[in-house]
Order: sequence, then structure tokens, then C-alpha cells
Amino acid sequence: MEPIVKKWYDSLERGKIMGTKCKDCGNVDFPPISVCRKCRSRNLEQIELSGEGTLLMYSVSGDTPGAKFAPFTPFAYGQVLLKEGPLFATKIEGVPINTPEEIEKGNKELPAPVKAKIIDGVGGMKVVVFEKI
Amino acid sequence: MAKNPCIIGVGMTKFGNLLETPELKNKTFQELVAEAAFEAYDDAGISPEEIDAFIVGNMLPQTSLSNSQATNCSDWLGLRYKPGFHIDTACSTTLTGIGIARDMIASGKYKNILVVGGEITNSYPDMENDFPLDRKPLDRVKLWKWTDYAVDHNYAYQHFYGFDALIGVFGLAYMKTIGLSFKEFDRIMMQINKNVRLHASMNPKAICYEDGTLEEEAKREGFSSVEDYWKSDKNPFIAWPVRKKSVLNYADGASAIVLSSEPKKFTKKMPVEILGYHWAAENWPWDGSSEKIAFEGAYKMAGIKPKDIDYLTVHDCFQSAYLTSSEIAGYLEPGKAWKAILDGRTRFDGDKPMDTSGGRHGVGHAFEASAGAETYEIVKQMRGEAGKRQIKKPLKIAVQHNAGYALHYAVTVYKTAK
Repeated sequence: MEPIVKKWYDSLERGKIMGTKCKDCGNVDFPPISVCRKCRSRNLEQIELSGEGTLLMYSVSGDTPGAKFAPFTPFAYGQVLLKEGPLFATKIEGVPINTPEEIEKGNKELPAPVKAKIIDGVGGMKVVVFEKI
Repeated sequence: MAKNPCIIGVGMTKFGNLLETPELKNKTFQELVAEAAFEAYDDAGISPEEIDAFIVGNMLPQTSLSNSQATNCSDWLGLRYKPGFHIDTACSTTLTGIGIARDMIASGKYKNILVVGGEITNSYPDMENDFPLDRKPLDRVKLWKWTDYAVDHNYAYQHFYGFDALIGVFGLAYMKTIGLSFKEFDRIMMQINKNVRLHASMNPKAICYEDGTLEEEAKREGFSSVEDYWKSDKNPFIAWPVRKKSVLNYADGASAIVLSSEPKKFTKKMPVEILGYHWAAENWPWDGSSEKIAFEGAYKMAGIKPKDIDYLTVHDCFQSAYLTSSEIAGYLEPGKAWKAILDGRTRFDGDKPMDTSGGRHGVGHAFEASAGAETYEIVKQMRGEAGKRQIKKPLKIAVQHNAGYALHYAVTVYKTAK
């Protein structure tokens, strides 16, 4: 089996957001994984994703785990349904987070379209976040 | 006569903090699990000689100073030369162990099995000599770093994952599904916590026992109303819309369960039969389907319907589970769990009792000991031995639901045996 995780982070370095598509049932998983989550087939291909998705809801980071993401806090953390089908959760940009009232109001405006963005995460490692359009 | 293996004995330590709680102070991991096991042996009227096998749960070797826990615990449990092993499904572990023990007994090779779980979450040995009694307080950052090994590190942990934000999203999901405003949700969460603390105030083994009810605590803190206390800076958001008091309290402790195929040989107490169980695991990013699968599998094996359930325990390390899991279980009407809670129906004296021990906030959460502590409560309730918090109606069928981090759902169906 080829290394899957390393290949994914390497492709982020090149600005590409990849997923796996099942050649048997057509299901798309994100990020790439060894076996199709839907039909359990190993017959997968790597595909580039559109980066388009829908933000379903978001909350705001609290005090755990704390240290690791300290340079980023406070940040919104939300659930995104990708255009190709899979669910993902990560940092969300472009949504209000300063007060409980703002967060409640922000959530009332959902679902709303978001676009993937590659940023420098902890230690400068490339990771995927979503930005409200 | 019960058709299935039965629980004949239960035990648990006080849940608290090894550095502070008088009942726990200066004890090691092996002493904690032995104390819980001895109570279970005595409760069952069984001697260790008659235990045929044992299963040990423990998640954090960094605090227990133990892996290969079965070998580390065998002699302390009085089980030298007996077959034993360690299992780990995080916070559902002891319930998973009960399912394994049930099937080991059903295979015919074993008659009596001990399932024990222990955890230390508040302190760890930080000295070079790794001596279990040289302990220092464990800060939350380090605790979660170790606990989060239960979460995907290939992707999730690099993508801003944190337990707090996750429970914020879980709470929000219920709010959105039902169409509740934050104000309504907050009021419901306060009522849940009032129930949790009421139950814990009647349970001497609970970490919150000495603190009394939420109303008593509010008064002590100088608040004239419990609502003002709930909304004050004493109860900040852990992740909006969920406040600090709506999640677990970290605890140290142990629990133990003895299962047997021949209850009458040892005890006159009412045996609790394991009618059925099911487990389901899923990895991040979760869609939560495993929860429903676990309930359905357990009901099918047990041959019961949700309407047969007299008592339900849900995994409440985040208390929005009282809303979501009770509905998925079919115990409370879909979309109406919030109303049942506001009407007091889920209290020990209501018609739909839930988590009468005080749960993972009230009793406290000692990760791989907690499911066993919930089984302990179920057995005490089914026998009518729960004291002040005894459910008044007779209990025939009880269901226990646990979520191992992250995620391993386990559901077990119990029945009072004759």
C-alpha cells in the first residue's frame, strides 16, 4: 500500500486538495483513506476536490486542548458538507465569534456556502480550513 | 432461572481526586481496582478462588504507571495464575468488558468473571523514578493531549480538533434540529444540571456529593437565584452554547462487576441478567450513525422494544446527550426530550428516570471506570438498594448507553432475573 497521509499533505504543499473516489460505488471520502467508507472497497482513485462546500454549524474553541492551537485562539470550529458528499470539520474563517449573541446570529445565517483554503497550521504544516463566501 | 449470564456483584470506590479526597489519598492504581473488586466480591458472596477470568480497563498508562494491566493487577485482585487481559474502548470500556465476559461465560469455558476498570485523571507521577505516590496535579492541556490519542491524528488533530469545540457543535446540532433558541437551550441545560446535582447529592460515592445540589451551591456562592448563578462568570461557556457545568468533572476511581452463570450458588440478591448488547465503532469525521446501530443491535439481541425500557442511562460527559441519546434510544419521544426534562420526568422520581447516580458530572468521570460505575447504579436500582435516590416504580428492563472516545458506542440491555 502506498503512503496515503504523506501524499495528501504533500499535495497541499502544491495547492491541491485531494480526496479518494471509490471506483466501485462512486462514493467520495475526504481526506483520503485506505478503504471506501460506504462499500468497504479498496478500489479507490485519488481525485482533486472542488473545495466548495456548505457550512452547517459552528462553535468556538474553548480552553482544551489549549497549548497546541494557542496561536490561533479564539477560532470558529465548524462542520462542512463538501460538494462531493463527505463531511469535514475544521477551523472556519469569515464568521463572527466575539460574543455569544454574534455566534447565535452567525449560526442563524446557515447553511451557507464556504470555500476551502490552505493555510499554515501548527508548526507551519499545511492544513485545510474553510472560509465563508 | 436466568437464561443468560448475570451480574451478581458490583463495587466502586469513591470518585474524587487522589491528591485530596480522604477515601482515595495515597492509593496506587492497583489499590484502587482492588478496592472496587473487593466490594464486588463481597456483594456477590464470591471468593477470588472461584473467579475464572478477569478483564481490566485503563486508558492512561501515563497516570496509572501501568500497561499490560492484567499482569500488573492479577495479584492485587487475588487472581494470581488466573487468565486475564486488558481491553480499551476508552470511556465505554467497562461496558464492552461486560459484553465480552457475557460471551466468555456463554461459551461454557468460564463460569465467573470479574470486569474491573480504573482511571486517574487528576494527577500523575512526574519524577524520574516513576514512583506512583510521587504525584503532582495533572493540567488539562497534558490530560487532553494523552486522552486525544483516541482521536484521529492523521487528519483531525491537525485540523483544529478539540473536545470543547466538538461538544459545542453537538449541543448546537440539537438546538438546530429542534429549532430552539439559545435562551431555551440554556434553560434546558440548567434543568439537566439541576437533576444531575440532585442525584449526586444523594450518592455518597459521587464527586459532587459533598457540594450538595445546584441550588445549595448557588446560595453558598452568594446568588439569590440559581438562574443568575447558572448564567454568571462562575459558569462560563466551554464552547458556545455549552457551559462548563454541562460537561464532565474529572475524577479518579475504580469500578468492578462480577458476572456468573450460577448466581444462586453465591448470593440471595436479585441477579441482573445480560439480555443483549451491541457495539459500533467509527473514526473521524463522525456522522454518528454508530450510535443508532449500537442501540438497534442491542435491542435485537435482547428481543426488546424501546417501550419496554424502565430505566435508561446515557453517556453524559456532555449533557446534551440527555436530549439526543434518549431520543435515539427511543426512550423519550423524538423532538420532545427537552420537554420531558423540563417537566421533571427524567428525575429519579419521574416516570422516565435517567442517570440517577449523578452521571459523569455528578459522580465524576474516571474514564475507563465510569461505565462500570453506571452499571453499579443500574444493579443497585434494579435490586432496590439505591437508598434516597431509589426509583419508586419496579424496574424490569434497564438500558445502558456509553460512548467511548472517539467513537465507540456500546449499548447493553439488562433484565431483573428471578
